[in-house]
Amino acid sequence: MRNNPLLNRYDIHTAILSNEKVAEDHYLLRCECAEIAHHARPGQFVHVLISYGAGLLLRRPFTIYTVENSQITMLYQIIGEGTQRLSEMSKGATLQVLGPLGNTFDIAKAPPELAILVGGGAGIASLMLLAAVLRARGIQTLGLVGAQHRARLLSVTDLKSIGIDVHIATDDGSIGHHGYITDVLAALLGKTERHRPTIYACGPHGMLAAVTKIAADFEVPAQVAMENRMGCAMGVCLGCVCPVRIDATHVEYQRVCTEGPVFNATDIVWDI
Amino acid sequence: MLSWLIPYMDTTDLSLNVNIGGIQMRNPVMTASGTFGYGSEYVDFVDLNRLGAVVVKGVTSTPWPGNPMQRIMETPSGMLNAIGLQNVGVDGFITQKLPYLRDFDVPVIVNVCGKTVEEYVTVSEKLNGADGVAGIELNISCPNLDCGGMSFGVDAELASHLVTAVRAKTHLPLLVKLSPNVTDITVIARAVEDAGADALSAINTLIGMAIDAETRTPELANVTGGLSGPAIKPVALRLVWEVYKSVSIPIVGMGGIMNATDAVEFFIAGASAVAVGTANFVNPQASMEVLKGIPAYLKQANMKSIKELVGSLQVGS
Ligand SMILES: Cc1cc2nc3c(=O)[nH]c(=O)nc-3n(C[C@H](O)[C@H](O)[C@H](O)COP(=O)(O)OP(=O)(O)OC[C@H]3O[C@@H](n4cnc5c(N)ncnc54)[C@H](O)[C@@H]3O)c2cc1C
Ligand SMILES: Cc1cc2nc3c(=O)[nH]c(=O)nc-3n(C[C@H](O)[C@H](O)[C@H](O)COP(=O)(O)O)c2cc1C
Ligand code: FES
Repeated sequence: MRNNPLLNRYDIHTAILSNEKVAEDHYLLRCECAEIAHHARPGQFVHVLISYGAGLLLRRPFTIYTVENSQITMLYQIIGEGTQRLSEMSKGATLQVLGPLGNTFDIAKAPPELAILVGGGAGIASLMLLAAVLRARGIQTLGLVGAQHRARLLSVTDLKSIGIDVHIATDDGSIGHHGYITDVLAALLGKTERHRPTIYACGPHGMLAAVTKIAADFEVPAQVAMENRMGCAMGVCLGCVCPVRIDATHVEYQRVCTEGPVFNATDIVWDI
Repeated sequence: MLSWLIPYMDTTDLSLNVNIGGIQMRNPVMTASGTFGYGSEYVDFVDLNRLGAVVVKGVTSTPWPGNPMQRIMETPSGMLNAIGLQNVGVDGFITQKLPYLRDFDVPVIVNVCGKTVEEYVTVSEKLNGADGVAGIELNISCPNLDCGGMSFGVDAELASHLVTAVRAKTHLPLLVKLSPNVTDITVIARAVEDAGADALSAINTLIGMAIDAETRTPELANVTGGLSGPAIKPVALRLVWEVYKSVSIPIVGMGGIMNATDAVEFFIAGASAVAVGTANFVNPQASMEVLKGIPAYLKQANMKSIKELVGSLQVGS
């Protein structure tokens, strides 16, 4: 993980260019955010003001899914009131987008021979920009995508289009492996001794804890992107923290919006 | 960002400066403790030199780890927080955070919290000797602590005792931050005024809770938390008005201020300055936007000074 010492943050008033359903309960939103697009790095996110006033107070955080010239996209799942309202907004509706925020996946210090991306549900959204950077550097990359069922499967076409082999798992077996995507990860690691892989993961808490355990069992480094409730996303409210092991005896609460969202998987204390 | 530089109307003859308990401020717009970090976090959105004062996150005698997750929850037009005063401690504050703020020409007010009178006194004494501290805001109203903290804010005798003890050990201007979670706020307000407080801050958060009906569990690990944001503005206005009528020291009004009109309402209720809190989370430039709107209001109300607005509520006919 690399902390971003330069505060290249912008709060941009922008209009939605498109906002389309891409899977059951999932939408892809595109907007013009030139400065954010210019500075965005893999793993970073934006904090989106959906409606000023009108009951909904706080912004909502979403990872920058892709960057195309001066535009960014976000891939989001409908969870509650905020994302429901967002999904009902059409082309031309205005948003306020603050970003890019947070640290980034670290591929500079130790480029992996093989990168394994593990995304659960909308978690795959946090790995797409990383996938593009890995491929641009010619790093062999596998995409492991988990979903509840076929109609909720995300990003498979996007990953394949940049030359990434994709493995799928669904809870009901309607496509791919019948079971968890972490089963697929464990099976794969059993077969990849020739390579020195690194795992990059984002998804539900339980999935990330399982990925961490598998990575530790196979002695493979893993980086995870955390998704905690956020207030400010500026590092001041201390609402977004997760427990991080500092050394053998110390654990401290670190801010997912500032020290994260990307952490070394083994630094996180998963059972608190 | 450019929008602040564009002249909105000729307001040069207006006087915005205020004196809050001995702290001279160029304007009456401050930041609320715990919502603006230590100032540095917002410098790419807010010119600190244009604020009336910066109030930093609560500091304690030793570093506090804070509460477990979940710590925050959005509620209709508001949010609950139970951060548990995670902070680097007063020594960490003085060595790691304060030097940065010294480079700015803005009064720095340090919010102080503790579990015992001794802790409050220790922290205040250390701040008394620190270069770059303009004043102390005694937080006797934090709702998220197991012991101490708020019990000082809900008991006039304890509050008075605490303020007397701190007053004896510091010559810094002393603001006391009042809790709304009391039957009669004026009793506490008068008690701390008598004990030597130079100004009052009102209000801190209202204790509330949120429940997940599906799992029948509390949304916050601490079960209860402090409610802030627009949802509490009517309560905050009422309490500022009550305090204004019962004390003669200045009041810093806060609670749900999102824009300049909200701020103006607090001045009318009796606040001499205002603090912008949760709004900073929604809009990093909220404090600047509040500031920008005040001269325009004064102008159209035919007032020359912000002081004319303070307590100008017209009741009855
Ligand atoms: C750094 C980061 C990146 C994220 N990236 C994506 C993404 O690319 N795509 C995507 O679909 N989702 C992403 N999420 C999760 C997304 O922010 C939430 O699903 C969304 O905030 C839910 O809002 P709501 O109003 O619909 O839900 P509600 O449940 O009504 O929201 C209530 C409150 O809880 C918060 N909240 C609820 N669920 C989550 C959650 N899982 N994570 C964080 N906060 C939550 C909301 O922000 C809000 O403050 C990300 C979260 C973080 C922290
Ligand atoms: C996340 C958060 C942290 C806070 N921390 C402190 C604190 O450390 N000390 C304090 O006196 N008040 C603290 N407050 C209270 C605010 O300073 C303010 O009194 C309150 O939120 C009401 O104003 P608002 O509605 O504009 O936010 C905190 C509020 C929030 C939302
Ligand atoms: S969201 Fe406020 S500190 Fe991270």
